[in-house]
Amino acid sequence: MSAPMICCPGQRLCRQEGNLDAGRGAYTRNGFIYASLAGTLHTVKNEEGTTIVEVFRDIEQITVPSVDALVTVKVTNVNARFCKCAIIKVGKTPLRETFRGMIRREDVKATEKDKVEMYKSFRPGDIVMARVISLGDKQSYLLSTAENELGVVMATSEAGASMVPVSWCKMKCPKTYNEEHRKVAKAQPQFLEYSVT
Amino acid sequence: IGNKKEINKINKVQQHSKMPLDTRRITGPESSISPYSLLTHNKTQPQVPPSGVRPDGREDDKIRPIFLKTGVVSQAQGSAYIEQQGTKMICAVYGPRAVVRQEDFSMKGQLTCEFKFTPFSCRYRRQHQQDGEEKDFSVQLLEALEPAVLLHKFPKAQVNIYITVLQNDGCALAASITCASVALADAGIEMYDLVTGCSARLAGDRLLMDPCSLEEYSSVEDTSINNGSVTVGLMPSLDQISAVTSTGEIQFELMKKAITQCVSMCVQLYPVCQNSLTKSIEKKVVEAAT
Repeated sequence: MSAPMICCPGQRLCRQEGNLDAGRGAYTRNGFIYASLAGTLHTVKNEEGTTIVEVFRDIEQITVPSVDALVTVKVTNVNARFCKCAIIKVGKTPLRETFRGMIRREDVKATEKDKVEMYKSFRPGDIVMARVISLGDKQSYLLSTAENELGVVMATSEAGASMVPVSWCKMKCPKTYNEEHRKVAKAQPQFLEYSVT
Repeated sequence: IGNKKEINKINKVQQHSKMPLDTRRITGPESSISPYSLLTHNKTQPQVPPSGVRPDGREDDKIRPIFLKTGVVSQAQGSAYIEQQGTKMICAVYGPRAVVRQEDFSMKGQLTCEFKFTPFSCRYRRQHQQDGEEKDFSVQLLEALEPAVLLHKFPKAQVNIYITVLQNDGCALAASITCASVALADAGIEMYDLVTGCSARLAGDRLLMDPCSLEEYSSVEDTSINNGSVTVGLMPSLDQISAVTSTGEIQFELMKKAITQCVSMCVQLYPVCQNSLTKSIEKKVVEAAT
């Protein structure tokens, strides 16, 4: 297998002919495709038959939260109307520095939006899976947990232990066996691992 | 001031009664002179003679060899170190990260540059805070780099560029342009092209490329015509100039000639930048494979 070609930003890669197009890490200008990243060159065939020219950097790609991206956040403030959080991971890539996000009361659940109580859905310190619904305002991204698979993934109880999910709205502390209210994310069966006891 | 009075009192007492020395304080020598008075740099002569050999023996149209290395600051997203014989600096790029105090919402990302000479880098000690000249350089560097970065790829985020000059022997701005664009590429920030910088010094009829600190323009100089310097930032692959700055009084024809020469030198720098980036990518590929 030949070594992949390494290119630098501004390097002219090829002419933009019939079935060639620029993908990630490349841009088109004056009928030519140029590289915009320093990395290795890859060509991928699209479903429509066009060849996409892309440049990859093997290490963590630069990720900024974009609309419809799945993000992992840590809740920082909880209010009656919304909760503020810090985006720590976008998709699979952990961020070096956090972005600010906000989950509004009407975006917590898909149904019965007016019956949502923020203090019974999230608490500060919870790790939550959410989806970016918009770039929001100048301060924070707008996030939503209005899907079954989104919501609280990890939480610590008032006693300080890591809680175990019991239902879509409750989590149980293994130490005190107290149940606390959270908007819990549904564990997808393909990711469950059963321990043999 | 209180301390000084005490020291003087103690010294006076010691002079009179030969008491034991004060061991709590580290006293300096009783008399001292400024080190700048020992400099042999002659200010009365014009810095650039009308003809003759340059201080480092180069010809008028030769630039100094460049050394570039990426990945020198581990905490930063991307970094680069450049050496142009005597001029040495490090550039660290952080981001894209959240903007702390944002004025308005914008779909474009922001780019900020901070240029700083370390206090020991220049002939005369620099301040710890950014002074006027460094703030100027920061703005000029931002002007040179902004056209090259794809800002729309990181909306609501900012990329911070920090230049730290370790040693200044002329052409700090030009070297910082080259260094910063290589650091941005190392950080994985999408760019239309690398930006290379070069500067020239005009003195009378002479056009000196890549002046060292002894040849650099200073406004305190003699009043011959055509006395100034030009710095050009060029995107070689797109063949576009992203920034031109000049100081001093220069006739238009000479200015044109200086910019043309700078552009041709910038084109020569392009392979060096590409080489350093290619080497670092190769290393990463090899590391990932093992």
